[in-house]
Amino acid sequence: MASCLPAVAEQLLQDLQKTYSEKSQIPDELLIALRFIFGSCTLQALDLVDQRAVTCVSSPSGRVVFQVLGGSGRLYTCYTSCHYCPCPAFAFSVLRRNESLVCKHILAAYLCQAMGLCQQEQVSDQHMTLILSGRAALDP
Amino acid sequence: MSCGQNSLYIHICEIAMVDILSVVFQRFGSQLHASGDIKLSSQPESSTLVVGDENINRSLLFLTALTAASEMGYKVLFFTQNQIQSLPVTVQDSSLKPENLKKIRFVYPNTLEELLEDVASLHELVPETAPFPTLLIVDGVERYVCVQDRPQQDSQSTAAHIVALLHDTAAFLKARSEKRQQSPCRVIVSYHPEWERRGGDVFAPDSILLVLERYLQVRCNIHKVINSGEAQNEWLLYLSGPGLQVDGYGKGEKCLGLQWHVVMQPNGALEFRPESAPKEETSQVQHSDCGNET
Repeated sequence: MASCLPAVAEQLLQDLQKTYSEKSQIPDELLIALRFIFGSCTLQALDLVDQRAVTCVSSPSGRVVFQVLGGSGRLYTCYTSCHYCPCPAFAFSVLRRNESLVCKHILAAYLCQAMGLCQQEQVSDQHMTLILSGRAALDP
Repeated sequence: MSCGQNSLYIHICEIAMVDILSVVFQRFGSQLHASGDIKLSSQPESSTLVVGDENINRSLLFLTALTAASEMGYKVLFFTQNQIQSLPVTVQDSSLKPENLKKIRFVYPNTLEELLEDVASLHELVPETAPFPTLLIVDGVERYVCVQDRPQQDSQSTAAHIVALLHDTAAFLKARSEKRQQSPCRVIVSYHPEWERRGGDVFAPDSILLVLERYLQVRCNIHKVINSGEAQNEWLLYLSGPGLQVDGYGKGEKCLGLQWHVVMQPNGALEFRPESAPKEETSQVQHSDCGNET
């Protein structure tokens, strides 16, 4: 997904990855920078990280996708190469108002990836098709 | 690829979708009006959005698919809701014979759900028995997005879902193709804007178009030309967008986009010629929202 973010956000995530791998925590200055770049969804995304809500799902074909378990219990599917989330905040704040770079689910996927905190899951190719097309997103 | 001293010379770049359009323009270009040394390319991750009325969109997509399959060796997957009953354009060139249609796989999803499943299932292909596609074309994405009674916010999200899935699928296929030393996968999507379908205000923002532009970095606008109040079989085609790079237009000058005149001949064939000078005062472009009014 990195190619979809501005350079400053990519650099920030690289800094996060390096720092977290060394210290296993996020320094205050990085938290402030995250909040500055990604806005109000940062704290909610960090909550999702704390809850280990992000799963990196893969199938034998090699296809990979993120699934994020939202607070309501719904699973949100986020693609790995570009930004899309079926949540209302993505539709409103990102697509319609163009106010945010990403929603909390996509940011949580970025953060978990950088911090190495994604859950891992293997599914069949057929199930991956259902996930990608949005038909399996409602089944946590 | 040289067509003579005064002819259009388009370098074919192997890195992006717009190179296929370059071949189409060159093959069907008028050498009488061509000049300069033009290089069209786009950023590797860029995909192309074709914006115009559904008939010219489909003709251009069909020509592009046929050219890509027969001349460039692309494995083309063509998604469209309406079954193709006849050739949208008369293809007279010997190398674009109708048997080349067999090189294109047409898929006819009727609903949004079918389209999403068809695209999402492409990773299930076994390359040993069915080669991975290297060009994904969706004709008339509005037919899947702009369904009656669907709220605007849902339509925007639906449009984003389709193009994001296409993008993600192309990225996956590209990675697999590189392992097998095949061509990377490209995406081209056509859209018939709402204001054109309903004859509404041409300056009203099209919320779906704004979303499509977010994902598809090269835009190919096609506007009907009106002479003396009457619509002609002529269009202005304008390539633009952040993913497009055009160098060497005219005498070393650089520009952000490139304009072409498209004429449908009496036999139905399309002819492309570059527009280097401002358009004649007697002509009017029917619709323009690309900042290209003349």
